[in-house]
Amino acid sequence: MSTTGITRRRFGALFGTALAAPAFIRPAFGQEADKIRIGFVGPRSGPLGVFGDGDPFLVERFNATWANGIEIGGKTYGLEIVLGDTQSDPVRGSQVARDMINGEAIDVMITASTPETVNPVADACEAAGMPCLSTSAPWEAFYFGRGGKPGEKTFNWTYHMCFGTSNFVTLYSDQWSKVPNNKKVGALIPSDADGNAIRAGLIPALQAAGWEIVDPGPYENGSADFSNHINAFKDAGVEVCVCFPFPPDFPVFWRQAAQQGLAAQLKIMQMAKAGLFAPELEALGPLGYGLHAGAYWHPSFPFASRAVGLSNAELASGYEAASGKQWNQQVGATAGLLDAVLAALETSGAPKDKAAVADAMSRLKADTALGPVDFTTGAMGGAVQNCTETHLVGVQWNKAAEGPWQFQLDVVSNADHPTVPLTAEMTAYTLPG
Amino acid sequence: MMARLMPLAAQDRALILCGGLLAIGLALLPAVASALVVDKLTLLFIYVMLAVMWNLMAGYAGLVSVGQQAFVGLGGYAMVRLVEAGMPPFPAILAGAVLVAGVAWLLSGFVLRMKAGEFAIATWVLAEVIRSLVSFDPLIQGETGTSVLALNAIDPDLRRTTIYLMALGVMVVMLAGTWRLLAGRLGAECQAIRDDEEAAASVGVSTMRVKRQVYIIASVGCAVAGALWLASAITFQPRTAFGVQWSVFMLFMVLVGGFGSFTGPILGAVLFFALQEVFGDFGAWYLAGLGVVAILFALYLPRGLVGLWQDRGRDEPLSIRKRLAAPGDQV
Repeated sequence: MSTTGITRRRFGALFGTALAAPAFIRPAFGQEADKIRIGFVGPRSGPLGVFGDGDPFLVERFNATWANGIEIGGKTYGLEIVLGDTQSDPVRGSQVARDMINGEAIDVMITASTPETVNPVADACEAAGMPCLSTSAPWEAFYFGRGGKPGEKTFNWTYHMCFGTSNFVTLYSDQWSKVPNNKKVGALIPSDADGNAIRAGLIPALQAAGWEIVDPGPYENGSADFSNHINAFKDAGVEVCVCFPFPPDFPVFWRQAAQQGLAAQLKIMQMAKAGLFAPELEALGPLGYGLHAGAYWHPSFPFASRAVGLSNAELASGYEAASGKQWNQQVGATAGLLDAVLAALETSGAPKDKAAVADAMSRLKADTALGPVDFTTGAMGGAVQNCTETHLVGVQWNKAAEGPWQFQLDVVSNADHPTVPLTAEMTAYTLPG
Repeated sequence: MMARLMPLAAQDRALILCGGLLAIGLALLPAVASALVVDKLTLLFIYVMLAVMWNLMAGYAGLVSVGQQAFVGLGGYAMVRLVEAGMPPFPAILAGAVLVAGVAWLLSGFVLRMKAGEFAIATWVLAEVIRSLVSFDPLIQGETGTSVLALNAIDPDLRRTTIYLMALGVMVVMLAGTWRLLAGRLGAECQAIRDDEEAAASVGVSTMRVKRQVYIIASVGCAVAGALWLASAITFQPRTAFGVQWSVFMLFMVLVGGFGSFTGPILGAVLFFALQEVFGDFGAWYLAGLGVVAILFALYLPRGLVGLWQDRGRDEPLSIRKRLAAPGDQV
């Protein structure tokens, strides 16, 4: 790609003239031909900012690990990560990705966390012929949300590694068998895109697996009153409840469920979408002890991240020490993404050749912090290329046995990811007090 | 004695000439400029279009809409649908706008009967309703959205240059078109309606016809801008395409540049673009800063950047105000 020596930042500085401090200007061009630049666009501020909390720590570790460069095809290359913040806004995500492709001379792009982040970035890359690897958005949202058609090679430059619907079916069938219950499941599903997809795909699959589903119908995100659903669940006598709420809606639902007597009757309260991050649970206080969820990464995953030179346990403790915050799942998932992109650059044999890197992604087999990934088989029995499934474990948020954090996340089910050891026996939910 | 109108001021003629030369220069730019510059300027042109269209409605005809994102989104959606039906993507941008004109005509009969505050709320509600309807389309899959993959078949450089030239062309047509419209009868009728709708009707202005024309023109303009934006971003997600942020951008650009002036929205768009480029990386602080800028302008510079000229006793550049020539004036 030809360039005429004007960087994104310098372009801005031209417009801002006096406003732009020299710190904005960075020599991005005319740089050494033997440095590999990895663009990384993700949410680091705004409502999704919590997904990017681990990025500074990971980038620092990555830089320390590869300070002497990496040898590929008999040649030593330097490695550099260029960060871009979507500010949780798809419009800005798209713009930042294009700026990086056009103005920062990156060789490969990575992106993570929610379809709102991943899809616009991947589209910008697909259009520009930039190899892109992504994670942490259900692969169906990545593939079908961008007009992908099963059985066709729709995308040539963009690859995705994440769990999908079938992983939830395996996970829930196992996790809900861990404590005795009447196999009646109340489903709280909103009317949004994820909700529609779950109603169409996951619910029938769970019914086929022998669960009786009580679905009182869709509700609007941001709802303040869940009485209809709560009454329907109570009337049906459900002992399991599964929900897919917009995260801020869960505490509203759960407090009402506790007040109106539903929580006392439930054995299992399974959260999806909500309950990924400890602060959400801390906001619930004691009502949060014993809630169930699925997790795409956990420090007990028996793998390591080569990209940042840490085992998964070290990843969690290192992040906590560096940030002063409790570990979260995205730290491990982003480390896994770095592992995968590094492996793709290596196996390409020519990391500055975009077509070679994209080709390497299409046949990538790598060990990552999330476990082994293998792009050679594809998802949906091979019909969906460019995607590969990672796996989920069932978890339970319990009162921490010791400080400094209020909650600890225990692995209680591993049918979807059998190499991960269980860290605790699953218990039925019990109301506090 | 026949009242004679003052001709265009010399400085305005010079300004138009400069604008024309600038447009020609910009049209030749992709031959020498980098992909980054071309991509950025495309965005600037889209901002100018949005600002000019919103100002046409709010600044001249008094139709303060906070729901123009409905047409930004519909422009993109029409493009998605036409491409799905087999139309090549670039013609679909313009063809989609024609479809949106039809929608705007239908809606105008309903929303234009409302006044001021009611109108603003109705446009917002309408935008939300349209977004919901669009997300029922199985192609859009609720909030998941889809992508205009047909664009990937076109060589990246060719695609970027084509979108750039289309955006430049559309912007120039919009500027010239609104200038002609406003300098003519429609401009006078618009401003009469903005200042007092009943009085305008009483002197024979067909208020519904005028408002409908302006509403449809502005809607089509926003639709083209939305489709051009989609063509450069490729990802169509209803929450983004129909996001209220488009209206907020328009409002900001017009208020900061100069409400109800011809050059104001252009200055506002350039300023907004520059702020976004320089401070956009600061995230939440940037957005807070934009809010502060808007408040400061509302308090101390209510006529926007253009007001700075007028404060110095100079005429507003490219004003569409008519001036009668005094007997002694050279005409």
